Amino acid sequence: MNSDWLFNFPFKIPVNTGAIDKYVRDFSVKYDIFFGSIRNFLISFVNIIHSILSFIPWIITILAVVYITWRISKKISKGILYGALLFFIGTLGLWDLMNETLAIVLASVAMSLVLGFPLGILISTSDKADKIVRPILDTMQTMPVFVYLIPALLFFGLGKPPAVIATTIYAIVPIIRLTNHGIRQIDEEIVEASIAFGSTKFQSLVKVQIPQALPTIMTGVNQTLMMAMAMVVTTSMIGATGLGMEVLISVNRVEIGRGLVSGTAVVIIAVILDRITQGLVKNGEVNSH
Amino acid sequence: MKKFIGLLILTILVIITMVGCASNTTMGTGKEIAFADAGWDSNKFHNAVAGIIAEKVYGYKWREIPGSTTVLHEGLLKGEVDIHMEVWTDNLATYEQDLAEGKVKELSINFDDDYQGLYVPRYVIEGDSERGIKALAPDLKYVWDLKDYPDIFPDDENKGMGRIYGAIPGWEVDEIIHNKYINYGLDENFIYFRPGSDAALSAALTSAYDKGEPIVTYYWEPTWLMGKYDFVLLEDEPYDESTYKEGKTQLPAVTVTIAMSNEFYDSNEEIVDFLSNYKTSSKMTSEALAYMQDTNADYIETAEWFLKEYDYLLDEWLNEENAKTMRDYLN
Repeated sequence: MNSDWLFNFPFKIPVNTGAIDKYVRDFSVKYDIFFGSIRNFLISFVNIIHSILSFIPWIITILAVVYITWRISKKISKGILYGALLFFIGTLGLWDLMNETLAIVLASVAMSLVLGFPLGILISTSDKADKIVRPILDTMQTMPVFVYLIPALLFFGLGKPPAVIATTIYAIVPIIRLTNHGIRQIDEEIVEASIAFGSTKFQSLVKVQIPQALPTIMTGVNQTLMMAMAMVVTTSMIGATGLGMEVLISVNRVEIGRGLVSGTAVVIIAVILDRITQGLVKNGEVNSH
Repeated sequence: MKKFIGLLILTILVIITMVGCASNTTMGTGKEIAFADAGWDSNKFHNAVAGIIAEKVYGYKWREIPGSTTVLHEGLLKGEVDIHMEVWTDNLATYEQDLAEGKVKELSINFDDDYQGLYVPRYVIEGDSERGIKALAPDLKYVWDLKDYPDIFPDDENKGMGRIYGAIPGWEVDEIIHNKYINYGLDENFIYFRPGSDAALSAALTSAYDKGEPIVTYYWEPTWLMGKYDFVLLEDEPYDESTYKEGKTQLPAVTVTIAMSNEFYDSNEEIVDFLSNYKTSSKMTSEALAYMQDTNADYIETAEWFLKEYDYLLDEWLNEENAKTMRDYLN
């Protein structure tokens, strides 16, 4: 008895992947001016952040981190610990690379917040929009990064612009989801009360719902930041310079020590950013009660 | 009732699976070759060429074992990998030593005309009237000529500087090209840009070529890109063994050999005979890879196309009778 058909699909639908390739490539050539202007915008955006970061003397940055983490944790010891960790990055000779990495991460986070926050509010007010956006967000989170990295390269060239775009695609999801979730979970009675007292829908949103949802939204900001940090090494594979490139080079050369040093620096930055934004979440909680 | 239907479906599934498995296990256990698959196109292509000949002429089955260069070499020493069609001898620190100690057998030099270095599209130098591209750098011939043309290869991220796409970070040649960049004083008005991965570099090249933009980049042969697009290798000082690592001369062509594990060598005489004659060239390989890229053919189809295109290879590799068997199959 021949039962091959049980294990092999009896027919295949031929997908013309070649046509997709050609379409994407023609598209990138045709609208080069459009993509070029986005590219230039992103380059200047990242460069501005980078020049601000490199303009600040290292000692000021460290003191600022000490102060902020101290205020947030209410413990001077923690502030000093994070300051010392940052100082450690400097002594490893990775300060400039750190600034380069931070410039890309912060640019991506800024893009994510500017685009993600309004979108999150929009889908919190409309179930229909929520139904449409949700599978798109799932796709963005699970689609293997390289699948959209390479088209991003065709459109935006190699270097920082595609790095910001790829990071934004990956990191925008939590801010959208958590803004949506934060606003939806508010007690309906509170919203009704605000309407009953004569506020318009917009006033209710800005003055009641968003402040109420703030702790959740801040968690979204924190998550967005962490996911952007997670993309640091991946984006170095498309030519983004900074700590990620350092990790990539050492991994490719099996220089374990060098990889460990630059990898540690990435972790330290991530931890500091995480503590600072988490502190903001807590403060948000305190204020809203 | 629900329970009954569930039970029925389960029974049917079990039966179907059992029937399937039973018919699946009747495969014969023939001779098999495990080819090393280092991940790049030309390697897979040569595996397919050698594979279909082994299959159609000598009745072998074949499969590929993926891995990195060093891992596959270890596999070859241990006999887990039978044949490596593309050993890039310069990239393996221990290759010569292992060969001398008899831990592995070298059968033939697959090709040794593979160039690498800094390339520019031909239209940058000669223009392309068909596509309406003007020759932007008609006098560009040597690597050091680049110094005069930073504004033709602009780096968007740094105003006023040019961009040279370097090698993949971590490759040994990355350091050599970087030395070359310093040595010729290109660091004054060029940025040495590391593309991060070979996929990213190919995308940058393709994109620039499609748009007709100038680009100067490290690249290597044999690759589908070099077979498909018309790139010119910038000339350099003649190769010198003692100083090329400092970036002062041309890069050497790497000898790419076919290696076989001792275990396989001892018991598969006819494959040894066949592969000892196996020789191609980097240029041929690039052409085949370009064919594959253009037509979306898979490796097997490309290998068949290649053997028809370079029919005379069959006479060089195989005896008369076997060459005839192969030709009958191909046509």
